[in-house]
Amino acid sequence: MTHSTNTTEKGAQPVSVNDARNRVSPFAIAVFLVVASLSILIGCGSDGEALRINGSTTVNPPVAEAAEILRAERRIEIRVDTQGGSSGGIARVADGLADIGMSSKPLAETDRAKYLGVDFRSKKIGADAVALVVSKDVWDAGLRALSREDVRKIYEGEVDDWIAFDLPEQKIAFFDKEPGRGTWEVFATWLYGDSSAAPTVDFPEVGGNEETRNKVATTPGAISQLSMSWADGESVFALGIYDDEEGSVIECTPENVEAGIYPMTRSLLLITRGDAEGNVKMFLDFMLGERGQELVRKHGYLALADLGEGE
Amino acid sequence: MIHDLRIARRDWIRQASIGFSALAAVVFVAMIGMFVAQSLPVWRSEGLSFLVSNRWHYRHAAFGALAMIYGTLVVSAIALAIAAPIGIGAAVFTSEVLSARYRSPVKIAIELLAGIPSVVYGLLGIVLLRDWMFALTQPFDPLSGDTLLTAGVLLAIMVLPTVMTIADDALRGVPARQRAAARGLGLTRAETLLSVILPQAWRGIGAALLLALGRALGEGIAVFMVIGRQDNQWPANPLSLRPLVEAGQTLSTKLVGSETHIAYGDPLHWAAMVNLGLVLLVLTSAVTWLGVRWTRRKERHAASR
Repeated sequence: MTHSTNTTEKGAQPVSVNDARNRVSPFAIAVFLVVASLSILIGCGSDGEALRINGSTTVNPPVAEAAEILRAERRIEIRVDTQGGSSGGIARVADGLADIGMSSKPLAETDRAKYLGVDFRSKKIGADAVALVVSKDVWDAGLRALSREDVRKIYEGEVDDWIAFDLPEQKIAFFDKEPGRGTWEVFATWLYGDSSAAPTVDFPEVGGNEETRNKVATTPGAISQLSMSWADGESVFALGIYDDEEGSVIECTPENVEAGIYPMTRSLLLITRGDAEGNVKMFLDFMLGERGQELVRKHGYLALADLGEGE
Repeated sequence: MIHDLRIARRDWIRQASIGFSALAAVVFVAMIGMFVAQSLPVWRSEGLSFLVSNRWHYRHAAFGALAMIYGTLVVSAIALAIAAPIGIGAAVFTSEVLSARYRSPVKIAIELLAGIPSVVYGLLGIVLLRDWMFALTQPFDPLSGDTLLTAGVLLAIMVLPTVMTIADDALRGVPARQRAAARGLGLTRAETLLSVILPQAWRGIGAALLLALGRALGEGIAVFMVIGRQDNQWPANPLSLRPLVEAGQTLSTKLVGSETHIAYGDPLHWAAMVNLGLVLLVLTSAVTWLGVRWTRRKERHAASR
């Protein structure tokens, strides 16, 4: 192809032998193509060797650190990825694109119905709470807690200004977690009893915990749902929740989660297909063992022993 | 003997390249076929309202993509409106003003910008641009820095190298003799540029803009991070500029988001997502086709001259 265009541009000069020598040899191109396609094939092949972990950004911090430790100690290839959140992890495990899925929501009937014939197994490695976090200006204005009814009004757009809560006038910037994220499922279940009963609303959406924290921290009047361990009390602030009956405030603290009083809690799960074997089993055992559980605590979550579920 | 061998080799490479081209064509046609086949359920259930309705609520099985098509077009238009004057201006500078000694370092530096992964642009967008745009648009009372305008400005920065470098090539393609002749006739530098060089290079510049538009339409990750991803944002008045300082959604950001994972396994929802891809493909193909037609016509002009 290149040859013909070259000759026409040069006014159809005859191609001399010298000319041809200056060009890239066709043979070299052919070799390049073969090598390139082979290396792609080999690249795909070696994929099977690595332990692939995918899913929730909430479960990710302790798992990623465990992967780092095991990579160094056992010299195995482990790849940890958080594209698509919990649902993404479950879908990838179902498709065989990941060996372990990280999920911050339990496997629902709809998941099992969607992937018929996939023998999902889930292992709980710890627990977390979903906090309602606000930006610094809202916190400094004195807001410390909301009731479930308050949150419902915000979520359904009945109130759109903080003035409704006796704060200075400031529009409420609600960032909604993407559907399919474990955080959103827990939030919607708490608010409506069942996440499928949640009304359809249109808010700007946020994905992972990092993005949520960043956007809430940099937007005045912002509120969003965020994993408790990411509510640092410096850039974003976790609100308490008014008890539905007594009206007292339940703070979002590990103690209240541990005691089972704080309403929005969830399990951190690792999901596999069928019985865990080989490296998959090794990884699960590590997470459930002493060192793995220590990592769960280190990242601000509750270990199984804290919940009275230790082995 | 050696000559024969060369011809034999060339024949072989010719057949191989025909084979590879055919393979590429087959894969492309098969891909389109698959897209169409998988998107059939949503055409059956939504019909044309997929394109003209702006209600997208997957849990109520309502799939109208108009708001996303709107978002895609608005963001790309903003990007082009900003990148075109700056990019063409920069190209005029490098090709007409800058001496040969400095031209290539400057051009290489700008072309390097095109190689930066879009996720890096996205992160810079979150860290810097989002806050700046929020401060800048304060008079219009935006809810946050995630707006169509922010996304458009970020895209403009991303397509700028494309516009600049291809426009520069087009300008350099105008023979130096004509510049010399124009100056010899007493035209000033500005007159030479406006009445001799730009009229001859404008087709190449047009191709540069269309290529940039193609990239802008399809960009996902970077836009995803600063556009806010709010569904069903449809302005009450299509001519109002208010949506520019509000969050929105484009076809690509919807496809990058987590909804594809939820859609998987549900034929109707999946069909709707695939159809978004198809609409995007049609949009970008149309732009590419226009770009090809544009440059072809230029060749024909050149031949008849």
